[in-house]
Amino acid sequence: MKKPLLALVAAIGLVTGSIAQAADAIKIGLMAPLTGSWASEGQSMKKIVELLAKQQNAKGGVLGKQIEVVTEDDGGDPRTASLAAQRLTTQGIVAVVGTYGSSVTEATQAIYDEAGIPQIANGSTAIRLTEKGLKHFFRTAPRDDEQGRIAAQMIEKLDFKQVAILHDSTSYAKGLADETNALLKKKGIKVVFFDALTPGERDYNAILTKLKSANPDVVLFTGYYPEAGLLLRQKRAMGWPVPFIGGDATNNPDLVKSAGQEAAEGFYFLSPPVPQDLDTPEAQAFLADYQKQYEEVPASIWAVLSGDGFRAAVAGIEGAKSTNGGKIAEYLHKSLKDYPGLSGPISFDEKGDREGEVYRLYKVNADGKFVMQKL
Amino acid sequence: MEEFLQQLTNGLAVGGIYALIALGYTMVYGVLKLINFAHGDLFTYGAYLGLTLLTSLALTDRLGFFMGVLVLVLMVMGLVAVLGVILERAAYRPLRESPRLSAVVSALGASIFLQNTLMLIYGARFQVYPDNILPVTALDLFGLQVPVMRVLIVLASVVMMVTLYLFIQKTKIGTAIRAAAIDQGAARLMGIDVNRVILLVFLLGPALGGAAGLMVGLYYGQINFTMGWVYGMKAFTAAILGGIGNIPGAMIGGLLLGVVEAMGAAYLSIAWKDAIAFCVLILILIVRPTGLLGERVADKI
Amino acid sequence: MNRFTSFAVALFVALMAVAPLFLNAYYVDVLNSIGLYGLLALSLNLILGEAGLFNMGHAAFYAMGAYTAAILNTRYQIPILWTLPLSALVAGFFALAVARPVVHLRGDYLLIVTIGVSEIVRIALVNDVFGITGGANGIFGISRPELFGFVIRQPQHFYYLIWGFVVLTIFLFLRLKQSRFGRALNYLREDEVAAEGSGVNTDYYKLTVFSLGAAWAGMAGTLFAAKMTIISPESFSFWESVVLFMIVILGGAGNVAGVLLAAFLVIGLPELFREFSSARMLVFGLVMMVMMLVRPQGLLPAKGRQFSFAELNKGSLR
Repeated sequence: MKKPLLALVAAIGLVTGSIAQAADAIKIGLMAPLTGSWASEGQSMKKIVELLAKQQNAKGGVLGKQIEVVTEDDGGDPRTASLAAQRLTTQGIVAVVGTYGSSVTEATQAIYDEAGIPQIANGSTAIRLTEKGLKHFFRTAPRDDEQGRIAAQMIEKLDFKQVAILHDSTSYAKGLADETNALLKKKGIKVVFFDALTPGERDYNAILTKLKSANPDVVLFTGYYPEAGLLLRQKRAMGWPVPFIGGDATNNPDLVKSAGQEAAEGFYFLSPPVPQDLDTPEAQAFLADYQKQYEEVPASIWAVLSGDGFRAAVAGIEGAKSTNGGKIAEYLHKSLKDYPGLSGPISFDEKGDREGEVYRLYKVNADGKFVMQKL
Repeated sequence: MEEFLQQLTNGLAVGGIYALIALGYTMVYGVLKLINFAHGDLFTYGAYLGLTLLTSLALTDRLGFFMGVLVLVLMVMGLVAVLGVILERAAYRPLRESPRLSAVVSALGASIFLQNTLMLIYGARFQVYPDNILPVTALDLFGLQVPVMRVLIVLASVVMMVTLYLFIQKTKIGTAIRAAAIDQGAARLMGIDVNRVILLVFLLGPALGGAAGLMVGLYYGQINFTMGWVYGMKAFTAAILGGIGNIPGAMIGGLLLGVVEAMGAAYLSIAWKDAIAFCVLILILIVRPTGLLGERVADKI
Repeated sequence: MNRFTSFAVALFVALMAVAPLFLNAYYVDVLNSIGLYGLLALSLNLILGEAGLFNMGHAAFYAMGAYTAAILNTRYQIPILWTLPLSALVAGFFALAVARPVVHLRGDYLLIVTIGVSEIVRIALVNDVFGITGGANGIFGISRPELFGFVIRQPQHFYYLIWGFVVLTIFLFLRLKQSRFGRALNYLREDEVAAEGSGVNTDYYKLTVFSLGAAWAGMAGTLFAAKMTIISPESFSFWESVVLFMIVILGGAGNVAGVLLAAFLVIGLPELFREFSSARMLVFGLVMMVMMLVRPQGLLPAKGRQFSFAELNKGSLR
């Protein structure tokens, strides 16, 4: 039993040793799902934030100091995330960016708030996160009720009369499904099907067969892109031509890869603009740098939004001329107006939500490209 | 009625895959009384190896669709079988005389290890099989539209299962496997090399699991490094349902589980599908405590 | 206990008692996590380690306790620590109800049934059964625990609450192990037929230990709910049951010290392996495997009972 103990001691030494270095840099935390189901998002987040930090440091950092990014893995799971948050708060970070999943973010909110560290989440769209009156919480992502409103509006505009709604029982997808369901009923559009699939499976033929017998004009799937890809592919194999609309979690180039181009063609989805459609000069320049550095495009808009979180954090520190969490948060709430972010101007309202309309309707064309629709 | 038949074919396609994987659990259990929790990950390796071989060797271009896929299946089965043997050597053989549950924990550790190796090699994003190599047309079976691939999947799994069944029942080696499953000590006294039987079981089970992984990749296109966990769990359930250790039981258990899931989703609730399947399992075990075809074992006195 | 082990135990207790004074919040929280899993593993150890009943669905009972506490607290404003006995009762009776028809199943069949039960519970929670579990969102806004007017908020405070409970648990479970009840469980584990033949009512003992272990897991669930202030079904996934199962077997089924040590390793190691970043779970899997190969009986295998003649003469066995 001596060896594991020795390893334990050695490892503790390693960890504490790495904390001690670089004392006079300004530290910004990044909490991202580097492992687990959302690892691809997390890896992109890390690349984006690190590149941005490098660029900012080349420009002289912030408040005359260099920026150091401290990254922790939240594993895409609330319990790991709360430990990651505890760990970050002990490392002298000034602000923290992240994370992706809503329930994961939720598990860390109180920890950062009690420590007085501003947190800027990038992929967490659940409504309740900003309804708790936390002073240090912000997000660069839009809220689910906003998306639900747009979804119902688009279904009405595209003139669909009978809608089937399918979610995947995650808190995000269920929330969006419920929101849209209620709004559609108000508009007098019939919802003929409402149920949830089990994410992580391969075969959804049983569900598609049942969906088909409900005879909808359109299917709204509010879950994530891996399942959406499988659904589209299996729908085509069945020879069922009904159109599908996805929520913003289906916005990922891998969707087309998984479904196959022919099956993905005609798929609608709602989303903030995809990375390639970001037309701000900041975004264009940054994406070019990103591709040069990593030879790929970011996993999704959510990863890009972590870049906006980082930029907002830097702007907050600069604007408040301080590394005090309370002052930075106050600056972000009140004084940061239309700051040029990668995904468009950034302003936060008093709840910490991002202001302005971000959702667009996209359609997949015959080449598997995402084309923004004008409506 | 048409919907019912359609759901039946849906269930059979899923169940065929469950059954193939379940065979690996049941064979290993039969001989070693060990639940090989890393078996699901061997299935995933089949899918990933298949993808790599398919894209790097361009077999279907060179040999045509049918021959190409056949060669691919054989290569994948061979490679995964080797992996299975390595797994047995590294993780299970040293624990053969230890308490049974120690091997379970070793298997779980191996499963985590295998999964994360895949993640580090291929990345965390899911991988996709090229979609232009397979026929996507639907077949008209007595007025029922069934995709060709689904028919092929069911056929392929049935062929493999029947072959295995005949091998186990009719050949000398098969008899040796059955003997070792019933009583290892007695089999050894009869001159059966039990170590070779174990080796064989760890070749056959993973080979079938690997083939199932390849089939999942070809059919559904999308594969990821954690999928073995989901399929493995289902297949293990199927093996128990049929009576673990019993080879025809695993086949029937797999098909039945697939059909129960499809019917549960169709006529009760999609969201509760897995819960329904487990309820059916528990009810069957209350009535038949050793599964559908499991032998009734008298407790030793 | 010889002199060396009693010294080691005393040193360990002393170190643990002062640990929060020297460690930062992160490490204290890691220790809190270890304490909670230790508690759960000790409760599973009764079922799996002492009685030898294969249970790979312990998360179901943990969830029962956590949800009972959360629902009572958020709906009826019952202080969270007061819900402890109720959580124990709910989890215990639930275990009794599900175990009653299946407890006679042989090892691996029982294993899959417990997995099934825990999956059914999780799916029910996700689907917001009876409209009280909050679906996938779970339940949030659980109030902080209060002890004699003191609100427990900081990780350091939770540390003493959780580890205090662990100490109490160890004391009670060690007593239980030495009792007639504990001896019957071990008999059951070693040879069920012989136990029955000697007049041990096997079904009674199996059901009692199942309910007792579940009740204890339920109380651990209450502590978990109090600490997190938000609970959701994903905290009670099948993976949690697997982790607990690994802790008990790795530690040495039936040995309290071994189970605690394994809790330290299984929960603590992935945290220490953060240095390996994406490869940390790979290293963890490998370490699990190697530890099992090196110590096939578990890290600290349970020793058989040894009684000296002196004790026999005193009649302390009665």
